[in-house]
Amino acid sequence: MKKLIQMTINDTDCEIAVRPNQTLADVLRQELGLTGTKKGCEVGECGTCTVILNGKPVNSCLVLAVQADGCSILTIEGMQTDEGLHPIQEAFIDKGAIQCGFCTSGMILSAKSLLDQNPHPDDKEVRTAISGNLCRCTGYQKIVEAIKGVNE
Amino acid sequence: MGKYDVINTRARRLDAPDKATGRAKYVDDICLPGMLFGAMLQSPLPHAEILNIDTSAAKKLPGVKSVVTAEDAGMVKYGVSPARYDETVFCKDKVHYIGDEVAAVAAIDLDTALEAVSLIKVDYEELPAVFTVDEAVAEGAPLIHEDFPRNICGEVHNEFGDVEKAFKECDLIRTDTFKNKRQDAGFLEPNGCIADFDPLGRLTLYSSTQVPHYVQRIVAMVLGLPIGKVRVIKPCIGGGFGPKAGTTPMELIACLLSMKTGKPVKMNYTREQVFLFGRARHQFVHTMTTGVKKDGTLMALKNKCYLEGGAYTSFGIATVYYAGSLLTGPYKLRNMKYDGYRIYTNKPTCGAQRGHGSVISRAAWEQQLDCVAEDLGMDPLEFRLKNVMETGDTTINDLYTSSLGMKECLEAVKTGSTWKEKRGKLPKGKGIGLAGGFFVSGAGYPIYRSDTPHSTVTIKLSDDGGNARVYTASAEIGQGSDTTFAMIAAETLGIPLSDVAVSSGDTDFGVDLGAYSSRQTLMTGHATKRAAENVKAQVLAVLSEQLDIPAEEMDIKKGLIEFRNGNPDFEGLRTRYLKEHRGWTDHPGGDDLTFREAARVAFLEKGPIVGSGAYKPGDLGGKYKGAAVGTSPAYSCSAAVVEVGVDMETGKVTVDNMTDAHDCGFAINRTSVEAQLQGSLSMGLGETLFEEVKFDNKGGILNADFGEYKIPTALDMAPVDTIIVESDEPNGPYGAKEVGEGAILPTIPAILNAVYDAIGVRIWELPLTPERVYMAIKKKKEEQKD
Amino acid sequence: MLLPKFEYHEPKTVQEACRIVGELGEKAKVLSGGTDLLVNMKKKLIQPEHVVSLSKIEDLKGIFRENGQVKIGACATAGEIAGSEVIKDTLADVAEAASVLGSPLIRNLATIAGNMTSARPAADLPPSLMAYGAKAKLVKASGERSVDLNDFFTGVGKTVMTPDEILTEIAVEIPQEPYGDHYIKLGVRQALEISLVNVAALILLDGPEGPIKEARIVLGSVAPTPIRALSAETVLAGQVPSDVLFERAGEAAANDSKPIDDFRGSAEYRRDMVGVLTKRALKTALDRATSR
Repeated sequence: MKKLIQMTINDTDCEIAVRPNQTLADVLRQELGLTGTKKGCEVGECGTCTVILNGKPVNSCLVLAVQADGCSILTIEGMQTDEGLHPIQEAFIDKGAIQCGFCTSGMILSAKSLLDQNPHPDDKEVRTAISGNLCRCTGYQKIVEAIKGVNE
Repeated sequence: MGKYDVINTRARRLDAPDKATGRAKYVDDICLPGMLFGAMLQSPLPHAEILNIDTSAAKKLPGVKSVVTAEDAGMVKYGVSPARYDETVFCKDKVHYIGDEVAAVAAIDLDTALEAVSLIKVDYEELPAVFTVDEAVAEGAPLIHEDFPRNICGEVHNEFGDVEKAFKECDLIRTDTFKNKRQDAGFLEPNGCIADFDPLGRLTLYSSTQVPHYVQRIVAMVLGLPIGKVRVIKPCIGGGFGPKAGTTPMELIACLLSMKTGKPVKMNYTREQVFLFGRARHQFVHTMTTGVKKDGTLMALKNKCYLEGGAYTSFGIATVYYAGSLLTGPYKLRNMKYDGYRIYTNKPTCGAQRGHGSVISRAAWEQQLDCVAEDLGMDPLEFRLKNVMETGDTTINDLYTSSLGMKECLEAVKTGSTWKEKRGKLPKGKGIGLAGGFFVSGAGYPIYRSDTPHSTVTIKLSDDGGNARVYTASAEIGQGSDTTFAMIAAETLGIPLSDVAVSSGDTDFGVDLGAYSSRQTLMTGHATKRAAENVKAQVLAVLSEQLDIPAEEMDIKKGLIEFRNGNPDFEGLRTRYLKEHRGWTDHPGGDDLTFREAARVAFLEKGPIVGSGAYKPGDLGGKYKGAAVGTSPAYSCSAAVVEVGVDMETGKVTVDNMTDAHDCGFAINRTSVEAQLQGSLSMGLGETLFEEVKFDNKGGILNADFGEYKIPTALDMAPVDTIIVESDEPNGPYGAKEVGEGAILPTIPAILNAVYDAIGVRIWELPLTPERVYMAIKKKKEEQKD
Repeated sequence: MLLPKFEYHEPKTVQEACRIVGELGEKAKVLSGGTDLLVNMKKKLIQPEHVVSLSKIEDLKGIFRENGQVKIGACATAGEIAGSEVIKDTLADVAEAASVLGSPLIRNLATIAGNMTSARPAADLPPSLMAYGAKAKLVKASGERSVDLNDFFTGVGKTVMTPDEILTEIAVEIPQEPYGDHYIKLGVRQALEISLVNVAALILLDGPEGPIKEARIVLGSVAPTPIRALSAETVLAGQVPSDVLFERAGEAAANDSKPIDDFRGSAEYRRDMVGVLTKRALKTALDRATSR
């Protein structure tokens, strides 16, 4: 049986009926068209489905949509504001931190969560913060440089 | 500023903004109206006869639209190399590995499709199976494919020079055996596709593939469609690294289901199915004997190799050749004998992965070369320099190096890593190691025999003259090829990069063999350059007529027309343009005639300004059997120095830093070249330290997930000091050659050599897990006690 | 990968939760963080008819110190534990263990209750908590009990809990003596890692400069449940700490371990590593005890 849930997604209120066995990742992608959230492993081991849930980055493939009832969610689509791209997005583009792009949404959201708490992280702190977000293309170096450079 | 306006810069990638904002569409992000969902039934047994398939219950399930088996798909054989087509869409009489496809379903949603799959009943009679090379080649072993005795899928026997004779002249000869483990490419986007067979009988396949062209051919061949009715479109794809360079059964099944139902059908591999499909790095066992003279002259190599290949051939024939043929550079090797065998087993199929076929032979040999240098009492870097090849050298197996900056690479990493200060001076548990590499810059011949151009490119100017669009069937898979071609087109046309757009990855845009063998920059780059030259010539020809100035006296730079003898009176042209654009606010002005005006006038005079270019390498290579594999219009080379720390009590290896130099001929985009180096080294680090596809004793994968199949995290990867060496390749567009694959070659052996430097024990088996390193240290300690 | 179908319950109070699991018994699974449960359900290893989420029960959140105890609510996440000043001040190695669990993304979901109840032999949080003699509060409709974590795990994926019980809290008595602890996880990668071996050590001193009053060593991944290295603890009790003593304790701990060969590693390697990690954990624990 479907359950009606309410979420605030990217600062917009949203009401939707979901089945209990739907993950947040699936509801975002399939029901709400927010396909910037990716699915690379579906068991919490790759980080491509990262969203910020009530202020904290999580694997949305391991959250039931019904659990997100009453929660506030930021996806990659919510990073851009009326003023344009978020500085983290700018940094990723500028520093060449994006290749295939499949990890990028999750990386940027993990980076945001880090920089919100720690605006000037060192190398180790950046690497730790993105250690749940796998990237096979970049070797992480340009991603780390981009994140460190955002507030420098 | 240098010679160029656009290329050799750090231009931003064209696709980056879409990827940074979540706008980029990957195949699973696409939804078509009325789309069905497909699911496959795969064999749970490694080797078994199929006695009966009962699909009746599945067909009755509400929501199921089609259930297909070999009866529906037919038994047309396909694969990668036409000489070894050994796959069919579905198995009919027997299954060959856990994961072999038996049946499939299309239904209104994935839930229903999966439930229907679970209702298909298959009666199997299990057959004895073989899982290792030894088991597979044993006398009386069960045959996986009837026509291949002893399960030998392919073998290569080559000798160049006279190895035995050369060994007699050697002062030092040593033999070592090295083995790796099966790898997985670890791309983050699982393979997916949507097939859409429309009412007019045209089939469009959206797929996460590296090779739209080959997929188009295989789909047409297997499903019996005219090739012109099959269109393959590659949306954004989340990495490939080799395994996405062949046709998947899933692609064929989705097409079949769409043809059966008349609806679009979406299918995706789960991560587990990505592992089951496999097609990544083989397991190789190399036994190498190398002979040298006292002064360090490299004389001969005898290389014997067994590849454990799995149930089908895939790229395997090329792989077994590459495992021998690419060791003839970048050091002068005077004699070489190679015997390679690729063996079928009842496991998922191996194929091509970054550095195809040559990564493990390179790792084995570069470690052995270090041993040889040590035996000779030579510095390993000096030993390599002594034997290094130079531009213009031809290898003993007839590979011609039209550019080769190997000496420069070695010197660069020597300086960059402060090799001399560190080598031999680090404390116990710390080590520094070096290795080199050599790779093709695009395969010299297509996978099927053909005179086809390898790449065609069409460039069309917008009718208003302001913009150019590059149409190519090449595959942007994350490496940055679209941006590379845009930069080449912009440079060649003489216009800003912002005025060039790229449409790629669609078989309707031409022929392009795709993203494999590190071919795109050189080959598609050439075709792009030629297309742009053609367009430019058309524009200048019209201008020449209009202004009565010879075309040779004009050029286009930064979007403006340059006249060798000073600007003529072009008021007539400008007025003509302005009259057409009354009310517009962005009129061209200034003292110079703009490309926009010139191109608009060209359109008005000649109609659409469309130019095309094609590229095909000339005849390459020797005349011996298998000479085609390893040929290339150009060869890259590279060197790496790695520093490691080893915890002597636990065996845990930490890579502290890496210095890597790669000769890419000429860097079209400097940021992208560095990014390829860093990514290659990361993959190589994972392969060296962590990665292994593990099997149970029934051929089932134990770690078909990213928890247990361990690719490096950000915390595992060391910083890389990247050094770009530019040798100006005469056969490359603007001197460019490859970087995407060759850069991985030195990584593994450089780490192996560094670990030896740290612990004093040679390890001849990958990966260097803490346990393997610890056990090696422990064994040595025990030997020293005795 | 789709989740099997189930009915979802989201009680607001412990009482309500107890009533639901009491009624449903084996048919229900309790969802705390979901990082194990949902994975097992996706892989169809378990297909419960009912899932009871604890995430909306406010009483199960929070970490606080009272009356010489640290109390960790069942739904405290690994991330919260790793960042908690209370835990860092009092149970440093519990914070360490929480900070190396999975990845930052997993740590924001995984809860202490889930890490206990899923009872994986390589789990990160149990060893340190067992060393402290932490107690799990188990509540059901008809009453509650407190179980020492040393008696809690009964096998791989198995605990003493009955289907009608809910783990609501982990309570840890802060030692009176000068004490120090350390947790070491040995894996292949630096993150997203399941331990090959993990070791927690706790040293209680007899006075600030004194000999070791008592030591507790807990080993993970070397038996079906985390185990105490009792003979190693005996080696240490009453002794003046030294490198030689810690070496001997390491050897004893290696003998106490009962590892098996599996695809992650051999028994031999694991046993040897128990020795190394025990020795190292003791050294750091001693440093912390003497500097406290």
